[in-house]
Amino acid sequence: VRIQVDGLPVDVEPGTTILEAAQAVGRYVPTLCFDDRMAPFGACRVCMVSVEGAAAPVAACTTPCRDDMRVDTTDDTSRRIAAATVELVLSELPEPPAEHTELGTVARFFGIREPRWEGEVRRPSHDKRHPYLALQHELCISCGRCVRACDEIQGAFALTATGRGFHSGITAGLDSGFVDSTCVSCGACADTCPTDAITEHTLLDLASAYTGDGGTA
Amino acid sequence: VTSRFDATTTTTCGYCGVGCRLEAHRADGHIASISPAMDGPANKGHTCVKGRFAHQFARSRDRLTAPLVRESGGFRLATWDEAIARIADAFGRIKAEHGPDAIAGLASSRATNEDCYVMQRLMRAAVGTHNIDNCSRVCHSPTSWALRKSFGMSGATGSFDDIEAAEAALLIGVNPTQGHPVVGARIKQAAIKGLKLVTADPRRIELADYGQIHLGMRPGTNAALLNGLAHVIIRDGFVDEQFVAERTEGYEALAELVEAYTPEAVEEITTVPAADLVTAAHVYGSAERACILWGLGVTEHRYGSECVRMICNLALLTGNVGRPGAALLPLRGQNNVQGSSDHGALPDTFTDYRHVSDEAVASSFEERWGVKMKREAGMKIPEMFDAAVDGRLKAMYIFGEDVAQTDPNTEHVIHALESLDFLVCQDIFETETTKYGDVILPASAFLEKTGTFSNAERRVQLVEAANDPPGSAKTDFEILTTVSRALGYEMGYETPADVMDEIAEMTPRYAGISHERIGRRGLQWPVAPDGTDTPILYEDEFSLPGGRGSFAVLPYKPPGDAADEEFPLILVTGRRLEHYNAGTMTRRTGNLTLMSSDSLEVHPDDAAELGLAEGETVTLRSRRGQIKLPVQITTRIEPGHVFTAFHFPEVRTNLLIGPSADVNTSCPEYKVVAVAIEPAGDRISEPLAAEPAVSA
Repeated sequence: VRIQVDGLPVDVEPGTTILEAAQAVGRYVPTLCFDDRMAPFGACRVCMVSVEGAAAPVAACTTPCRDDMRVDTTDDTSRRIAAATVELVLSELPEPPAEHTELGTVARFFGIREPRWEGEVRRPSHDKRHPYLALQHELCISCGRCVRACDEIQGAFALTATGRGFHSGITAGLDSGFVDSTCVSCGACADTCPTDAITEHTLLDLASAYTGDGGTA
Repeated sequence: VTSRFDATTTTTCGYCGVGCRLEAHRADGHIASISPAMDGPANKGHTCVKGRFAHQFARSRDRLTAPLVRESGGFRLATWDEAIARIADAFGRIKAEHGPDAIAGLASSRATNEDCYVMQRLMRAAVGTHNIDNCSRVCHSPTSWALRKSFGMSGATGSFDDIEAAEAALLIGVNPTQGHPVVGARIKQAAIKGLKLVTADPRRIELADYGQIHLGMRPGTNAALLNGLAHVIIRDGFVDEQFVAERTEGYEALAELVEAYTPEAVEEITTVPAADLVTAAHVYGSAERACILWGLGVTEHRYGSECVRMICNLALLTGNVGRPGAALLPLRGQNNVQGSSDHGALPDTFTDYRHVSDEAVASSFEERWGVKMKREAGMKIPEMFDAAVDGRLKAMYIFGEDVAQTDPNTEHVIHALESLDFLVCQDIFETETTKYGDVILPASAFLEKTGTFSNAERRVQLVEAANDPPGSAKTDFEILTTVSRALGYEMGYETPADVMDEIAEMTPRYAGISHERIGRRGLQWPVAPDGTDTPILYEDEFSLPGGRGSFAVLPYKPPGDAADEEFPLILVTGRRLEHYNAGTMTRRTGNLTLMSSDSLEVHPDDAAELGLAEGETVTLRSRRGQIKLPVQITTRIEPGHVFTAFHFPEVRTNLLIGPSADVNTSCPEYKVVAVAIEPAGDRISEPLAAEPAVSA
């Protein structure tokens, strides 16, 4: 299959996604719910790109390449949709994302500083019972990466997405915390988390606040 | 991504033999976090509770940070000069009075290939003895022996990638989700996606829940089970006749032997239902591509080495070797079990398992090192302890191994250590073993040194220092080369990379290996001079005379210990996810919070018969000794068997283990010990040898 990404031709195997093809020719497409260790999920709508002839922007991570497809990763409509999605995500958080996080990187990419929308923000709720893993529920953006890492990389099936809308989040076991769940403390969830909603105790002090000035990714 | 860290170093994990590539992140002078390297060939962006989290031990306050020397019954701090002068004096005196063979050394399967090579050169060239061994003696030496006999080379025939490429896999005597968690996760994911698993273990391991069939054989009956599988494979037409005809020898004799191992006869010996054995043989035999994985549940037996040969028989019968998805994968317990033995830290072989009596090889090393060497092998670890008790062995240099905690027949080991005139210990902590030392040298952890480890796939991978050793502790490379110099023998290396260059120069199968060439992906030996490595062995022929794989024709023989009226239960020992071997490292981390003490797994039927309650402390007694620990009631273990680990010094599990060992390699029979359970308090715990006071 041969496609063009931003005018660059690329030959890929059938079944390759637009995101993979774009990465193959060195084009950056922002993502939040994507991790190449797991199956694509298509939840965050941040990797939107335009395809010539398509009615609306598509998610690059879940759309397979078709022959002669022409993809534009810099299309204004796609960027505007994705940026608005990220801005909505940020508007629920009690504080801007830490500089080192993927959410911080994506926010910088779209040039978002203060979200335009006001309203209720999530209240801090921390679980630090595990000797290594720290849960900061208010930072969860429901991308599902931790749940999928637990299922698809480790196979411990310890994490579950719970709640709806503003109250959605993740829980270990039957809301019993990591230690009393089937968790095997592999840390794959913390490793994949794009926001530090799951991180290590030792890293909490090292995170610096987002300023929006950290440069572009 | 903006970094929170001062530096990030890519290195290779120092826990089990999977060989995960790790990114060690340093901040404020210490390792703040470890994450998996996304391009690690064995771990593919994953790691486990040990590799990722259990690194705080490296900055534990208990770390040895200065040399210690024995003085008036205790220890005191010493300078490096004084400590090394003591070693040189003692070794010089003992060598003069009793000859070089009164001295022995142990290299470590935790250390790098370069450290192990330098250690064996230290013993062979600077001291002048082949008395050098390493801790693979007590784990996978039977695997090494058997693979060489059946196929020709001592290593896995393929790679972990063959697990995902296989249709079926047989797991025997191994519990990967606990002992080798990252490979365990890979197997589990593959099984979820359709890999057909057969598990065989006295315990119903976690992966059994994801498999086609589980065989819960009686401990010590692996040989009957394996010959039974061969019987069904032959009987039901799963033999790859072309492969057998063109690439093997000895088939007829095997077929004749296993004729008697009918599923019914095997059930008598193993208690595995005949129908289950048939199902298992069909799953393995009918697969187009099948792997076999095994661990210490196969090797640590009286006939462990023979059972590994029977595993090889199954692969030869079905042609499941030398192809993608058809690999034999022994899961190595320690990070460098493969490499320590590859690099000559054995009493009978130089690098690449070439025997010390091989004239061409021996004289090439004599020329390179400028010394003369004997053509007879030195002592294995158990022989060293016997010789120490007899008074023939006067001094030992033990590097990175806690024999008083981990070797069997603990009382005998301690007696041996006490009998020595002089003991050097080189370690990162004081251990049960260092209590008997005369000089203790503070060494470096894997995060503080440079070199290579060889994982269970024969993959040589780089180890790079992410931090400095604490205090005045030194890297093992520096210590060993300095000791050698003090013994009057200059090795002439400046860096560990120089050591690897010498290894490559002296070893045809490693000819293309250099630190520069290893890069981020590693190299699987044999490595040709141009750097081409070998993910799959034996694609065209086996490395035996004639190029044919060799069937082993070996009957089942009962294990060294058996249950009787006085000791009615069989103890099996093994590993827990949260901890690692002697626990020296993991017990000094948050992993102790995750698992703070050990327990004895007992089947509900046995618990009912003995009137045991969950959590009750009991005395576990064998013919050798006794320990106390709490009971955990679980159906994971079969009736008649009990299980515990060996990670906690307060439990001292190895006090229970007797001298029974593998007939070919002296690997101890950790896996079959007849025991009795009694309520605690009936007997007073037998005191251990007096422990010298430590004042450092």
